[in-house]
Amino acid sequence: MSTQETRERLELLQGTLDLLILRTLIFGSQHGQGIARAIQQTSEEELLVEHGALYPALQRLEERGWISAKWGTSSNNRKARFYSLTAAGRKQLVKETAKWKRLAAAIGRILGPAKEG
Amino acid sequence: MFRRKRKPSDFGAEIEAHIQHESERLREQGLSEEEARAAARRSFGNVMQAEERFYEFGRWLWWDYLRQDFRFGLRMLARNPGFTVTVVLTLALSIGANTAIFSIVNTLLLKSLPYAHPERMGTIYTRVTGPLGSDERHHVNGEQWELLRDNVPALISAVSGLRASGANLEAGSQVQYVHAGRISAHYLDVLAIHPIMGRNFSDAEDLPHGPKTTILSYGLWRNALGANPTIPGQTVLLKGEPYTVIGVLPEGAIIPLNADLYTALQPSRQGEGTGTNFEVITRLRDGVIWQEADAEINRAWSLRTQRYELENNPGAQVTYYSVPLQKGETATLRPQVLTLMLAAGFILLIACANLAGLTLVRVMRRTSEVATRLALGASRWQIRRQFWIENLLLALVGGAVSIGVGYLALRGLLLLLPEHFLHVAQVSLDGRVMGSTLAASLLASILFGMLPAIASGSVDLRSSMASRAVAGSGGLRLRQGLIAGEVALTVVLLAASGLLIRTLVHLETLPPGFNPNGVMTAKASLDEVRFHDAAAFRKLLAESTTAMQQIPGVQQSAVGLSLPYERTVITGDIAISDGKEAGQKATADVIYTTPDYFAALQIPVLAGRSFTEADGPDTQRVAIVNQKFARKFFHGANAVGHYVDKDTMIVGVVENVAMAPGIDPVAPLTGEETMYLPAAQMEARQLGLLHVWFQPSWIVRTSGPVEGLTGQMQRALASADPNLPFSGFFNMRDLLAKTLAIQRVEVALLSAMTALALLLSAVGIFALIANIVTQKTREIGIRLALGSSIRKAMIDIGRAGVGASALGLVLGLVLCSGALRAMRSVLYGVEVYDVPTILAVVLMLSVVTLLATTVPALRVARIDPAKTLREE
Repeated sequence: MSTQETRERLELLQGTLDLLILRTLIFGSQHGQGIARAIQQTSEEELLVEHGALYPALQRLEERGWISAKWGTSSNNRKARFYSLTAAGRKQLVKETAKWKRLAAAIGRILGPAKEG
Repeated sequence: MFRRKRKPSDFGAEIEAHIQHESERLREQGLSEEEARAAARRSFGNVMQAEERFYEFGRWLWWDYLRQDFRFGLRMLARNPGFTVTVVLTLALSIGANTAIFSIVNTLLLKSLPYAHPERMGTIYTRVTGPLGSDERHHVNGEQWELLRDNVPALISAVSGLRASGANLEAGSQVQYVHAGRISAHYLDVLAIHPIMGRNFSDAEDLPHGPKTTILSYGLWRNALGANPTIPGQTVLLKGEPYTVIGVLPEGAIIPLNADLYTALQPSRQGEGTGTNFEVITRLRDGVIWQEADAEINRAWSLRTQRYELENNPGAQVTYYSVPLQKGETATLRPQVLTLMLAAGFILLIACANLAGLTLVRVMRRTSEVATRLALGASRWQIRRQFWIENLLLALVGGAVSIGVGYLALRGLLLLLPEHFLHVAQVSLDGRVMGSTLAASLLASILFGMLPAIASGSVDLRSSMASRAVAGSGGLRLRQGLIAGEVALTVVLLAASGLLIRTLVHLETLPPGFNPNGVMTAKASLDEVRFHDAAAFRKLLAESTTAMQQIPGVQQSAVGLSLPYERTVITGDIAISDGKEAGQKATADVIYTTPDYFAALQIPVLAGRSFTEADGPDTQRVAIVNQKFARKFFHGANAVGHYVDKDTMIVGVVENVAMAPGIDPVAPLTGEETMYLPAAQMEARQLGLLHVWFQPSWIVRTSGPVEGLTGQMQRALASADPNLPFSGFFNMRDLLAKTLAIQRVEVALLSAMTALALLLSAVGIFALIANIVTQKTREIGIRLALGSSIRKAMIDIGRAGVGASALGLVLGLVLCSGALRAMRSVLYGVEVYDVPTILAVVLMLSVVTLLATTVPALRVARIDPAKTLREE
């Protein structure tokens, strides 16, 4: 059994899923399950991406023109819908990243230096 | 932004792919096939919900809701067929009335005239300021015409005779009575109508004594001349003379002066040109604006030697200006048509008031449904949307049915109108009419849907859920207000049509001054060179009347230039030679007659004598005047023995006869000053001019019905002149109907609409009372059980309807006092504030109100107190 079911993981904050999806796609096109896996792995299994919420988010980003999608074949030879970042998406990522960093820093300052626990 | 729509199936496939990827990964971690798949599904969460969320993302969601609402609405309407049918019928009738009337308005006032560049076509109005001000289209005289033609380069101008007159056309072996219109050169150019064969009149052909040419209408060319393709250049025998056919008009060409064929007017300052006997139409030349044209007209006409507009009007100023031809042509009908449109609008408002009441009750009844839906999470907007959509559905169905109703109403209406009355090819339900019907439907749905929508907004969830009681009393006041409003509008319509009916009755029962029964008449055209000879004219009249006299059953036969109910020539220069008014110029209708004219029509001779055979061309010149003439110019003194025009002796005074107006331009029937002259004393010069305009009538009086009378009259005329056709045969009732056609149509239409308004109001009151009875069944039951009488309960219920109606009546009468004043110009023989009419309105409304209140209130009698109490 993997550890993921025993360990308590962090819930995503409202609005951060979009940012994480965009960030993940900066390394190239990826399908939905791959994006979810990537987020979980990159966050060292700290973040849980609820798969049911992922697809509406992808849909939303696609509607806004930040990502584009097309059907393709995955590494294990399965059909999958691949998403990739558009120029507008790239711009959005830069903007949102900057915003997020400021927010995180501000919150960090308020909460003070972290203690081991 | 372009967005490609994704299908839900595509989204489903993606989720399926995800789950496969995930379960594959889990299998790699050592799970069994089944466990992996279940875990993947579990970690994905609710697939259906995800799909739902995807679906809601779509832009078509609102469309789905709409479809759902529409389906629901249709179900609701189908479940209440009584309500639905009532609403649809009400809308169909009221919008149908609007559709029919608007199609007339559209054709007459809105649609462009059927000519090229109709906006460049006009006619000329004369604005006179001063003590006798006026602002209207005038006819023009020869001098005005010549100045307009020669000194107003901004316009292509043309004139025509005032109306088409009868003429004899020899086609093949037969002579036929046709309608001939006289138009100047360029008349057809102004209309931008080009003959399908041949050409329009040239300038040379339009000069006095120019070559005799004619242009045929398409219909005449087909029917009388066998559609002969080589007709241009050939001659036809018209008015007894050869005319060269120079053109044939296109099929369906609409000419303001409607006729079978056209001849050149050949206008001048002489003859008919001395008076205002021409009608102008103009077309603005390219590159010029109307202001320039108007300036030129004013400059040109300031050069006139004779300014009739300024006579008897000291200090008056006169200006001329162009108005669009459409406005000029429809000016006389405009007020009538707009009145009808206003009435139709009233009908729509009344209908909406009724429907608002009905839907309000329905919404109240559905309070619990609304409360339930609110409780289940529907938003108020959703509820309201549902109501709007139901109203919209009703309005659209009603509107669709109303097109059928409107079509039928329009066809009936057009049958009422005399032929060629509207000067248009056809009145059709075109796009604009359909659009207006749709707009009326939408407006109606908004008007009657507004109240219920507001009312549904105030449904209180808790109280509505708690009690099954129907909210009612709040709506009652509102509904009474609606009833009062519609009754007020109905009262205005009732009063208006009452006044019109009184006018028509007055006109139809005017003492005619003669006996209209037992008379048959027919016209023939004497506009022929051979009758310009006075002796030939006398011979024709004498021989034909003698021949008609011999038809068995005929008592008298006579000829007159005009008949009662018709118009005749007006002369403005009859010199009064003696009496108090000596030296004055009299204006009067002039009619020549054969001796038996007064006997044949049974016009009473009040003083002196009738004409006799002895009044011939070489004897003392004589005249007979009517009483009005005698009163006006001889102040009641016996006019017999006095002289006019120096040597003409008045030998008799006769009763006033109802005539179509000549002097008074608006009254449909009047008794104007009239002078009769013996036909035998008419001079050739006068005959020539009179017969261009008027066709004399042959009159026979019979003791009873005579078999084949018309055929025998035609044969009698043929015995005097074989080449003289009659125009058709009319009795006096036909002529009266023709003269009063507009009034009759107006009365018929307005009465029909008033009846509809009254019906709608009755239905409204009925529905109100019926609804109150239903709502108060329990209360009444209890009161009856406690000893109240049925009568008392009925009165109590009925009070709501009677009160609303009474309020409406008062409001309506107040409205009438202002609104009806606008009708003054179309009323004859009745005042605007006519007591009998008002009494009739009050009486009628009272009866209708009582009926509409009593019938539903009778249900009170059927309420069983015991049953009601048990339910309690």
